[in-house]
Amino acid sequence: MNHHNHDKQLLDSLQSQFGKDIDSEVMENIAKHMKDCPDCKIYVDSVKHTVKIYRTTEKNQSVPEDVSDRLFKTLKLKRHS
Amino acid sequence: MPNNSDEAHLVKMAKTGDKWAIAEIVSRESGRVYNLALKLLRNKEDAEDVLQETFLIFMNKVQSYRGESSLSTWLFRVTTNVALSKMRAKELIDKDISIHDPDFESLKGYEIRNWPNHPENEMDKKAFSDCLTKALNRLSEDYRVVFVLRDLEGMSTKETSKILGISISNVKVRLMRARLLLRDQLAIKLKCVERR
Repeated sequence: MNHHNHDKQLLDSLQSQFGKDIDSEVMENIAKHMKDCPDCKIYVDSVKHTVKIYRTTEKNQSVPEDVSDRLFKTLKLKRHS
Repeated sequence: MPNNSDEAHLVKMAKTGDKWAIAEIVSRESGRVYNLALKLLRNKEDAEDVLQETFLIFMNKVQSYRGESSLSTWLFRVTTNVALSKMRAKELIDKDISIHDPDFESLKGYEIRNWPNHPENEMDKKAFSDCLTKALNRLSEDYRVVFVLRDLEGMSTKETSKILGISISNVKVRLMRARLLLRDQLAIKLKCVERR
């Protein structure tokens, strides 16, 4: 991975955690600091991984057929084919 | 995803009591409502109850829907409120913890070291899943709902603030605290902390 891509990845990661409305200069300064600070890197990585774990394990599922049947019955509606 | 004019037309028809339009809306939106309920309550029976109750409310209150927010946002607000009532009634929130509580200080004196790239491989699959559920259940409802809406359902900060009726900055603060609380609980379980 080249240097430019690494910086971009770091900035994207920070933006996703702290919101896109943070001043870009502030974000760049944070990113510069992060590269030289292993403690901050662990901090950000650990939060990022926590969110990723939940996103990966909490996948959306279809409404089971029986649940859908009972819903329409309760609402006294006909399901569209 | 229906386009806006399509949705507006369906809602207009639903307001007149048109059963076909109501059924169409239920078909389109039930998946998202069910998944949100499931993520908040983590129990299929409770999620089904919330699904039914949300659409009963929709049928009774569709007249009062003014279209100020999208129908999905409106339904998510109803779903969230119904789910929260259920959580409170069943005491599904094990123990509210906030950033000011002593439990949040459980990492005090410790720091996270060597966070594994794939922490899910560090534990048995079932134990890991239970650990995630328990960590989420321990969040106070304020934090839990924001985390589910923002990070799991992918709602924007603005949408989340509309659903919950709180400011955008409040959403951001709650989200960061929720993430940190979850991270800290996982860190302890994964034993990737060490004394300073």
